[in-house]
Amino acid sequence: MANKRPPFWQREKYTPYLLLLPAILAILFVVLFPLLFSLYTSFTGYRLIRPETLWQWVGLRNYQRIFSNGDFWSAFGRTILFLTIALNLELLLGLGIALLINKITWGQRTLRTIMMFPMMFSPILVGYQFKFVFNDNIGILNNALQALGLSDGAIPWLVDKYLANFAIIFAEVWMSTSVFAILLLAGLFAMPRDPLEAAKVDGCNPWQVFRHITLPFLMPFVFIAMTIRSLDVARAYDIVDVMTGGGPAGRTELLWTMIARVGYDNARMGQANAMAYVSIFLSIAFTYYFFTKLLAARKYMGGAE
Amino acid sequence: MKTTIKTFLAATALTGMAATSLAAADVDYGTFDGYNLRVKLIGGAQYEPLYARISEWEEMTGATVDVLSRKNHFELDREIKQDIAAGTLDWCVGSNHTSFAPQYGSIYIDLNGVIDEGTLAEFQPLALQNSTVDGRLVQLPRHSDISNLYYIKSMFEDADNQAGFKAEYGYDLTPPETWNQVKDQAMYFADAPTFYGTQFVGKDEAITGRFYEMLVANGGALFDDGWNPTFNSAAGVEALNWFKDLYEAKAVPAGSLNYLWDDTGLGFASGTVALNLDWAGWASFFNDPENSKIAGDVGLVRAPKGSAGIRTGWSGSHTFSITATCDNTEAAASFVTFLTSHDSQMVEASSGLLPTRAKVWGDAKAQFAADGNDFLVTVFETYAVSMEEDAFTPPLITPWIEVSNEIWPRLQAAILGEMTAQEALDEAADAARLVMEDAGYL
Amino acid sequence: MRSVLRKRLGAIGLWILTFLLMVIMCVPGLWVVLTAFRPNSEVLAKPAIWIPENPGFGNFAKIFGFGADQIAIPVTAYFMNSLIIALTSTAIALLIGMSGGYAFARYRFRFKNGIFLGLMLSRTVPGIALSLPIFIIWSKIGLIDAKLGLIIVYVAMNVPFTIWLIDGFFRQIPKEMSEAAQVDGCTRWQAFWKIEFPLAKSGIASAGIFAFLTSWNEYALASNLTRSTDSKTLPVGLMDFTSQFTIDWAGMSAMAVIIIIPALILTFLVQKHLIAGLTFGGVKG
Repeated sequence: MANKRPPFWQREKYTPYLLLLPAILAILFVVLFPLLFSLYTSFTGYRLIRPETLWQWVGLRNYQRIFSNGDFWSAFGRTILFLTIALNLELLLGLGIALLINKITWGQRTLRTIMMFPMMFSPILVGYQFKFVFNDNIGILNNALQALGLSDGAIPWLVDKYLANFAIIFAEVWMSTSVFAILLLAGLFAMPRDPLEAAKVDGCNPWQVFRHITLPFLMPFVFIAMTIRSLDVARAYDIVDVMTGGGPAGRTELLWTMIARVGYDNARMGQANAMAYVSIFLSIAFTYYFFTKLLAARKYMGGAE
Repeated sequence: MKTTIKTFLAATALTGMAATSLAAADVDYGTFDGYNLRVKLIGGAQYEPLYARISEWEEMTGATVDVLSRKNHFELDREIKQDIAAGTLDWCVGSNHTSFAPQYGSIYIDLNGVIDEGTLAEFQPLALQNSTVDGRLVQLPRHSDISNLYYIKSMFEDADNQAGFKAEYGYDLTPPETWNQVKDQAMYFADAPTFYGTQFVGKDEAITGRFYEMLVANGGALFDDGWNPTFNSAAGVEALNWFKDLYEAKAVPAGSLNYLWDDTGLGFASGTVALNLDWAGWASFFNDPENSKIAGDVGLVRAPKGSAGIRTGWSGSHTFSITATCDNTEAAASFVTFLTSHDSQMVEASSGLLPTRAKVWGDAKAQFAADGNDFLVTVFETYAVSMEEDAFTPPLITPWIEVSNEIWPRLQAAILGEMTAQEALDEAADAARLVMEDAGYL
Repeated sequence: MRSVLRKRLGAIGLWILTFLLMVIMCVPGLWVVLTAFRPNSEVLAKPAIWIPENPGFGNFAKIFGFGADQIAIPVTAYFMNSLIIALTSTAIALLIGMSGGYAFARYRFRFKNGIFLGLMLSRTVPGIALSLPIFIIWSKIGLIDAKLGLIIVYVAMNVPFTIWLIDGFFRQIPKEMSEAAQVDGCTRWQAFWKIEFPLAKSGIASAGIFAFLTSWNEYALASNLTRSTDSKTLPVGLMDFTSQFTIDWAGMSAMAVIIIIPALILTFLVQKHLIAGLTFGGVKG
């Protein structure tokens, strides 16, 4: 092998940076610059319909207003609750489904496609679909319950305090469990067979195999999935907006529906962006938490640093 | 894209056609050969039939129309606001609405002086008045809407119902004249969960509007002359309690608080609601056997009166506006005049959209009668009177939507029993005051 | 004998459970599909009609313009736009994902964790906060109502995800294998295509499916950045069926079916790659 010094872009040291360059550029352009713009506007009294207000600096007024607003904090708390419950449900159900499908050999390809069925629906479609299903007067759920004699009908799924939140969580879980299932299924496929065989030979029962071999191997995948979903779950905005609009009386108000209303309907973009930044910090907290867990899990598995 | 030959032919043919069309329509739409008119229109099933006529205008004037967006109401509103913010107002004509127009400020021009007076004189004065913001006619009305009371005829004609109602309430069961009568009848008819007396929309500007018209019917007002919120008056509490009592008595579906126009319309059409205050646009739908279970059994009376003897009459018009950045105002003016012309409004009237030209009312009714569509004749007669005598719009001020967003969550809270009506309205009034102060009205 | 019976019962039980789960997953979606084939009056019937009484293609005919009262929705144009945008952005996102994933899996370098975290954090931004600024910037560059504009945005949306996922799969492949190939005379580049790529196919395929579905179904940014049939995508077209007054359920469902079918087909086709390759037993030898 010749020992000439290669030009600097082929040198080992810089390769990773080059490899990552397109990714970094894309993110910079599409996310960072707009983000900086939004940050700036959150310190102004920017209103969409009066563009000159872009230059009206108001300092921390927007932030002060939202922090002293009780409705904002309810929405904030509700959003955290929503995220936590939805994510955990999706994880458990996704894991269960992945394990189930892994076991079945015949017709697995069809099963996998069916399992991904909910993912193929656009979030707004899911929203309209469930708005119809949960409609108290002509929705199919109440109709079915009535027909089966299980209730006297007319359960206000989208109005009652607890049922409405249940309904939106149900819709979100319905839409996204498949994501977990497929990621975990891919992980299950990627699992080396040898340790499993060895464990069976040693006489471990299925639960022990799962607990001590399968689960630890899957953990990195679990955390990747959790992180991805925790960020993606902002897509739930479409669902909630269509199903309940954040109401009634703000019972299902999440941060994102509040932001959209304040920003577009009320045209107070500056204030909306302040709220958006608070929600960003929330997401960062979630992400950071999962990221540290991910690193720890990797270390445990002895994988590459 | 028209080729030059085609345009030339069209232009020469125009002279021949112009003579006949001038005689027929008495309007010269002008010639704008090769000009590309950029427009943003509201989309949706009931608005589309009119747009089929756009090609006629294109042929007459030699211009082409580029429909940049065809979205629903809310999406269009957001898009226009974005355009304002980004300065991308590079189009000429936009769909507008009397409730939304005040927000847009000066991006739209005053049509007085742009559309000729003769044409304007053919519109109903009230429609033009409601299209005027701060003394500027910022929009040309396309079709209006107002609500009247639909009901299931067989419920009222049934002898058992009549006897039972008289026994319980002490007066005859006839289509109601006042809102209190509606309340009595709704409670009587209700048999949750299979059947309901009436229903109402439960969120967004929709419920604010319904509350607002009830407030006015009871003699109240949203603001006083100095723009102080006054809707937490006794009239307001009475109005809110009307909704609240019905909800608590389960005379309306429990999910009402999440309903919008499509839910109430479809609910009535499914035959599970006895009385339904709704827009003219729904009339054909309710009477169409393919879409409605109560087709042929639908009755209509004028909107009932409140405690002050005033009928509810919340109304609005869909309209067209011309941007100040338009590069060919004449072409734009010709286009909007065409879209609101006599023939265009006849097309829209046949699907139940209420015209804004005085003459079209009579002509449309004659058309329905000739077709043997008695139902639509009755509908038009009833709605004509309502538009003339009862129609009013929300205050045409910039922060209207913001104020509405402060009101409706509190209305919901009161109806759900989380607060009393007075508490809810007081809270809403305080919030509204802040909005008005921020906007510079107070 | 008993253990065989037990095994049988176990297998049957498994099947029943799976079946139930599939039912829950499918029923709401199935309802949409059924609705697409019947008129509105049946949809709103109470009590609900489960088996369609008057099935037909009427709704589809209306969408394509054969109905009496509706202007055709330019579905073919929307479809082509969606297809081009989704496929292109997926392909680019996968390429960037592979290069980025390889960088994270195989190298140690300064700022590694920082960049990784940064990529992740880019996804914490809710679409709402981005939509207006992106609109303003894009309109200055002239990327509004252009397929390229949407493609760039979707690539940026999908890249963090593809990088993480593919990185995860690359890490499962022992470094020694690639090094062995290089000792045998391959350059790093060749080793990548010979070793890492085939073994991580399942990961790349999964990432591809997700990226495609995300782009195919995305609504909020698409509705902001598109205007006409030049670039409007199917989900935006779906909203053509809603207006101030009424939701045309049947029409919307028909449109939904049109949107779902390609996604379904593509998923089914790419399925097999999900299993391909990663059996250590086969590779070790």
